[in-house]
Amino acid sequence: MNGQIIELYTDDDMARMRRYIKRRSTALVLLAIVGLAACLALVALTNTANARRMELAAVAVSTVVGWIVLYGALFAALPARRELGHAGMLRRERRQRAEGTVSLTDESFTIRKSVAVRRVLVTRGDEQSRFLVCGSRAEALAAADPAAVYVCHGYVAAYEVRA
Amino acid sequence: MRALKNILSQLHTFVLWLLASALFWGWIFTFVTDTSPEKKITVYCDAPQVRDTAMAVALEEHMPEGLRMVKVHAFSYVMFDVESIDKGDVFIIPASHLEDCAEFLAPVEGQADGVKIYDADTGRGAATAYIQYADEDYYLFLGSGSVHAQDGAALAVAREILAMR
Repeated sequence: MNGQIIELYTDDDMARMRRYIKRRSTALVLLAIVGLAACLALVALTNTANARRMELAAVAVSTVVGWIVLYGALFAALPARRELGHAGMLRRERRQRAEGTVSLTDESFTIRKSVAVRRVLVTRGDEQSRFLVCGSRAEALAAADPAAVYVCHGYVAAYEVRA
Repeated sequence: MRALKNILSQLHTFVLWLLASALFWGWIFTFVTDTSPEKKITVYCDAPQVRDTAMAVALEEHMPEGLRMVKVHAFSYVMFDVESIDKGDVFIIPASHLEDCAEFLAPVEGQADGVKIYDADTGRGAATAYIQYADEDYYLFLGSGSVHAQDGAALAVAREILAMR
C-alpha cells in the first residue's frame, strides 16, 4: 500500500520541545534564585526585635517558592524532558511496520521515570497486536485513522495514512 | 482539578520540602541571632513569665561597647542544657530557688546575697514591665561563670535592669 508516512514527532516538534524545556527550566531557576535572594534579604534585615517574624517569613517564602519550583519541575519540565528523550529514541531506533485497523483503547498509564502512554490495538483478520503510544500524541493518531503504524520497541513512532 | 490531583500524587515531596525549609531556616536563624559568649550578655530569669524579646531590645539600647547582643531567657529555656546556664552573665532568681542555683551565682558589687530586684510585700520592683514575678522576693546576681565579670559589661547590664521600670 502506498500511503503518506507521518512522524509522531517531527524535527519542528523536537525543536519546540527543546525550547519549551529551556524556557521552563530557566524560569524555574530564576524563581528559585529570587526566592533565595528574598530569604537572604530577610536574614540581613534581622535584629533582636524582629527575629521571630523574620524567621517565619523566611520559612514561608522558601516553602511557597519551593513548592512552585517543585510543581513546575515535577509536572512541566520533567515530563517534557522525558517526552523529548522518548521522541529521540523513536526517531533514532529501527522500526517495524504493522498494518491493519488501528484503534485506541482507554487503557492508559505512566511508565516509571518515562512518559504517560495509551494502549493501541492493530487488528488484521484474526491477528491483534498491542502497542503503546505517547499520551500527548494518542488523539492525533486516532483522528488520522491510519492504515498502518511504524513501531519501535513497542511504541508507535509514525503512522501511514491512505494517499 | 488536575493541579490538585498532581499535588496529591506528590504530597510527600511537598510536605518534605516544608519540613526541610523550616529546619534549614531555623538553623540559619539560630546562627544569625546568636554569637559567642564574649560578644553577648545572657540574662536568665526564673520568673513565671518573661517578655524576653522586648526586654532584650530595651537592654540593647544601652548596650556596653564591644557587645553585639543581649539575650534574655526564661529558666525553662535551659532546663535541659546546664552547660549554657554555666555561662550566664546575669541571674534573676526567686528567694525559694537561691540554694538550688547557688553554684551559678556570684555577688553583685560585693553583695553576696545579691541585689533585691522585687519585693513581694510591697509589690514593687524593677523591670516589672518585662517580668511577671511570682509572689516572693527576687534577687539579681552576676553569673559565677560569666566571661564579662572582669570587663564590667555584666555589671553594666545588671544596673540597667535594676533601673528598668
